[in-house]
Amino acid sequence: MATFMSIDLIKYLCNCGKKCPICRMYLCKHCLKLRCIDCVQHEVDSPYCPSCLESMPVSEAKLKKNRCINCFDCPLCGHTLMTRATSQVSPNPDDPSKAVTRKMYYMACGFCRWSTRDVNLPDQNVATGNWPVMENPNAKRISNLLENYKLIAQVEKAERERKKYVKRRSHLYLQEKYNMSPAIVKRKGMASFSSLSLKEGDKTPDDLDQSETVSSFDPLPTEFFTKPAALDKITKLTHRFMLPEFQPDETSKLHPVRKHLLMRKSLRCSECEHNLSKADFNPNSIKFKIQLTALHWIPEVRIMTPSTFNLNKETVVTLTLSNPSVFNTTVTLSQIENETDTDYCTAKVELPKKEIVLASRDEASMHVYEESTATHDFKDDPKLIAFRKGNKVGFIVKVTPVVKDSDVKICFLLKHEFRNTTVAALQSESKEPEIVWLEHKVYLCLGTV
Amino acid sequence: MAAQNKIVNNPNLKIAVGALLCEGCEVIGDVTIGARTIIHPKARIIAEAGPISIGEYNIIEELVTITNKSSTDANSGKVLIIGNNNVFEVGAYVEAVRIGDHNVIECKARVGSKVEISNGSIIGTGCVLNMSEQLPDNTVIYGEKCERRTQRERPPTQTLQIEFLTKILPNYHYLVKPNMQPRPTATTTAPAVKK
Repeated sequence: MATFMSIDLIKYLCNCGKKCPICRMYLCKHCLKLRCIDCVQHEVDSPYCPSCLESMPVSEAKLKKNRCINCFDCPLCGHTLMTRATSQVSPNPDDPSKAVTRKMYYMACGFCRWSTRDVNLPDQNVATGNWPVMENPNAKRISNLLENYKLIAQVEKAERERKKYVKRRSHLYLQEKYNMSPAIVKRKGMASFSSLSLKEGDKTPDDLDQSETVSSFDPLPTEFFTKPAALDKITKLTHRFMLPEFQPDETSKLHPVRKHLLMRKSLRCSECEHNLSKADFNPNSIKFKIQLTALHWIPEVRIMTPSTFNLNKETVVTLTLSNPSVFNTTVTLSQIENETDTDYCTAKVELPKKEIVLASRDEASMHVYEESTATHDFKDDPKLIAFRKGNKVGFIVKVTPVVKDSDVKICFLLKHEFRNTTVAALQSESKEPEIVWLEHKVYLCLGTV
Repeated sequence: MAAQNKIVNNPNLKIAVGALLCEGCEVIGDVTIGARTIIHPKARIIAEAGPISIGEYNIIEELVTITNKSSTDANSGKVLIIGNNNVFEVGAYVEAVRIGDHNVIECKARVGSKVEISNGSIIGTGCVLNMSEQLPDNTVIYGEKCERRTQRERPPTQTLQIEFLTKILPNYHYLVKPNMQPRPTATTTAPAVKK
């Protein structure tokens, strides 16, 4: 869990110059570089509803204003509303003496017990999809504005295009402007502009109602001062912001909130544009088609135990390295030469000079706890290697803090073998995967002096 | 066995006919349990400072603690009266002055010793009430910050659940025998109980 929880202690340097925890990074297999979440391209795969898991194309989601039609949130606490069924007895329309029981549905929140009956919304006779949609009081104005701005954008775009064009063939443009030659009008490139200029006559950006400045307000009603405040009947700001188009000021005017859609996104390397992370298409699935998170490919450095540090005194610290790959991996650690980020390090560090071989990760044996399997064929120097366990190795570094009253921070260069299995598979199946050496700068915060 | 003896040896325990009190509960002091009330095993009902009277059609689930603490002197020795149709969910802790009808005390909620709960209220999961107060009818307390609101309808009665439990609990638990005929005021439900 430390990998995901204490993310501030150990950071790897990303290619963009940022220090990131390894669990937030990706390794592009084509340019063999680390990418952090800020230097990859984020792409929207498909919007989906987190409640009913219905996914739809972006254009459809846009039409639905990025909200689900069938799922609702509680306007008070934000939980998903549940549909409840009740039976209602009503007189039979054919024979008034007989009663008919009908199933009626209403929605209730399982958390704060708010229900659509609280605000006198009538029960529905179908379980989903029949809840009334409240009309935005400003819908017309908003669509007017939108249309206008679209028009303006179009005009501006056409003007820009025209300027480009005018330089080269001014006579053509003139002809077209006065609509002299319909054959030329149909020419590619000019078509958009000319069709626009014809239409412009019936709707110009100017014929929009000006919005009015509000200069005076009605005074507060006297009940405000005379009647005791009924706080339980008035909505809070969060409730009003949940429904920005209506902003109800009383709890009796609350209305179920349509559930916001979420995005399934995929990540791309910003340089070579290969996919780094791509989820399965189906929102029900938690699998990935492509998942190149750095944790799966790069040995992870972790601090074994916290230690106490004294100024200018050498302390032995045990760090661990774990190998995510299915091959034995050789790792060397070295000081960073020409360190540019001199502010970071506050301690001298003595690293193991020999290379360390990390045992391969064996998924099957990891779940069997047996001491006897821990014997390896590696000839380790016990002064350097503290222990070995599965794909993990504990090694010893000696740290001497040199800066007073600060965190003990060290950094080193982690150089490790990397077998690019995907590229090898593409080239030929018999060939052993090619070995590449990758270098990463690792920054550690070990504790305080 | 110890807990079982505690119940058997308690001379002040009165259980109305039709109530289900599982063995393995801890019932100490002067406690009256009304008809059709169901008390799951491992519940604790402790009449420490005064008697506890539990009405009808209540469900008291596992690990619920109901104590008559009577924190103030004015209250000491008073009866903690719990009305009808209340539900105490798993792990609830109740010391209240009085509890009315149709309330739900959800899991792990704590009701302090100076609180008076009237009718139709819901104390949400994990909510804590410490102050001296009297909850108005149909109050809902929910969430981390114990937010409050008033609901329009009281929570529905748990008749189906009670029916189910009266059938299923005797199959798996030893029960304590009722020792009290229902009071004449509760005759509406008495005939059904006798069979």
